[in-house]
Amino acid sequence: MSGAGMSDTKAKVLDCRGLLCPVPIIRLSKAVKAIAVGERIQMIATDPGSDPDMKAWEKQTGHKLVSSHHEGNEFHFLVERAR
Amino acid sequence: MEDRAKKVIYVQTYGTEARDRMATPIYLAAAAAAMDMDVSIYFTVHGPALLKKGVPETLLVQRVDGDGAPIGHFLDQARELGVRSLVCQPSLDLNGLKMEDLIDGVEMIGGAAFNDIAVDADAVISF
Repeated sequence: MSGAGMSDTKAKVLDCRGLLCPVPIIRLSKAVKAIAVGERIQMIATDPGSDPDMKAWEKQTGHKLVSSHHEGNEFHFLVERAR
Repeated sequence: MEDRAKKVIYVQTYGTEARDRMATPIYLAAAAAAMDMDVSIYFTVHGPALLKKGVPETLLVQRVDGDGAPIGHFLDQARELGVRSLVCQPSLDLNGLKMEDLIDGVEMIGGAAFNDIAVDADAVISF
């Protein structure tokens, strides 16, 4: 994971700022089911547990966490549907 | 990642007497379902009281800063993601409840079925 690829203009944005665990993961799960394999979602969250949660979500679901970075109190994740 | 979904069962022993403790297994179950796991909550001891008709929509989750949303909001969120709600007969008797007193969508199992689910699960998490 790195900051590369964050400027994916085709990715849909999922704004989870201000939402607390487990709501961001629930919204992401639903959003990923609504896109095609190979498509991407850019998720923005402020929940402080987002970083470990996204790594765990990637590991368990098999979807790809293409990149992640923070900006102030915001976490930005680029996710690709893998299956 | 394996092809078979991982199975997790949460055991909910808290009921209406523990408004500060009752929601956590339901949050975790929803998160597990959002991770594509096969998730059930087994309501036992005081847990079945949370499923009595009229309770989920009125019983508010207690937080240190005041009351939160009704427990039914979180139950619905989990169930929408595929989380199953299970009870067994003796735990209904303990709470003076019958199946028809419970909200829709609750499944009756027995102690043997619970143990079978537990030994086959990847994780059993008790509250």
